[in-house]
Amino acid sequence: MKKPTIPVFAVLAAAGIATSIYAIFFHAPLQYGLNEDGKLNGSSLFFNQKIFYFHTAHAMLLILAVASAGVSSILFLLSRTAPDAAAPGPESRGAMAFIRAHGSMWDDIASASVDVAVAFGAIALLSGSIWAKAAWDVWWNGEPRLTITLLLWLVLVGYVVVRRFAGPSADRITAGMAIFGGVSSYFVYTMVGKDSHPASGTNGVVATLGPGMKGAFWLTVASFACWYIALVVSRVQSTRAERELRELRERGLDLGVLQ
Amino acid sequence: MTHPLTKLIASWFVIAGLAGAAAAQPAAPESPPPADAASARAQCTAAMNADPKFAAEIVKVADEAAAMKRDADTLAAHNDAYAHVQKNERHVIYGYAAMWIIAAAFVIFLWRRQQVLQAEIAQLHRDLEAAAADRPAEGRP
Repeated sequence: MKKPTIPVFAVLAAAGIATSIYAIFFHAPLQYGLNEDGKLNGSSLFFNQKIFYFHTAHAMLLILAVASAGVSSILFLLSRTAPDAAAPGPESRGAMAFIRAHGSMWDDIASASVDVAVAFGAIALLSGSIWAKAAWDVWWNGEPRLTITLLLWLVLVGYVVVRRFAGPSADRITAGMAIFGGVSSYFVYTMVGKDSHPASGTNGVVATLGPGMKGAFWLTVASFACWYIALVVSRVQSTRAERELRELRERGLDLGVLQ
Repeated sequence: MTHPLTKLIASWFVIAGLAGAAAAQPAAPESPPPADAASARAQCTAAMNADPKFAAEIVKVADEAAAMKRDADTLAAHNDAYAHVQKNERHVIYGYAAMWIIAAAFVIFLWRRQQVLQAEIAQLHRDLEAAAADRPAEGRP
């Protein structure tokens, strides 16, 4: 990645988040619906719905980050396969050659994505719990979607811990964990609408948002996507620098230059 | 044979008992039982058709009652919504505070790792300079 990537995306994210906060609190409307008896109905969107914008954006980026880590980990493991294990076609050889040449890059991307996913997942879980208390009067109702999201988040925390303490083979162990997490993220997404959460898809809650709400929501998602890119690129650069530094030190020790 | 006087006294007691029991019962309603809703509506309609002034008065009273009911319902709904909004403001503040705290903690974590990395680079520089300083000394006779 080129050097301006992080500042450019960070500035875009900062401007976008500031604008989205204005849009959420001063532009996006609330919706009150009345039943025939004059009482407020269950589909009314009260002030606590303002949590929706940040909560859902972080949840979406959590799924994106975990899926990205899973794919990167598959590429990392492929890069470690023996050359004769590659597919016989010349194009495949070319693709495999590219994958092998950037083996450490896939690992760096996976590691950085998981780091960011842990932060985004914590935000999504905590903000969702607070919203649940406001809207459903319960902090945690233990339904399958919440439980599997928490399990996914714990797998990501496990990834970080293993990465830190498992020694030289940590990259391969954590690649397996990231693939498992990537597969789990599919189930997290498809469980939307199977419980208390509103449905997803073409008739889902995001697709049917009102005009004032839809613009604020997608602006929020785009802003946090920029934030996500800036964080991942920063972590990739940092991880790469750490590895190169470690390798230089080992080489210096081997050559007797360093003590 | 029973004496006629005895029969008379017994009859008097029976009549007195029956009268007392009847007095203990609640008084029967004086008005006739109310008509069913359909016949009452028919009666009212007939009366309104017969007297336009009466009809206008009935419509006015009904409209006022409906308006009062609507106003009361609207007020109750607004009060309910206001209560919800007031209750939820606190949770929105908590939610956004939690999100910003986690984001800030993550940025601080990244910054700390960057500091550690810079410290390691500085240490490597120092080690290299020390090694370079030792080399010529080793080559001297």
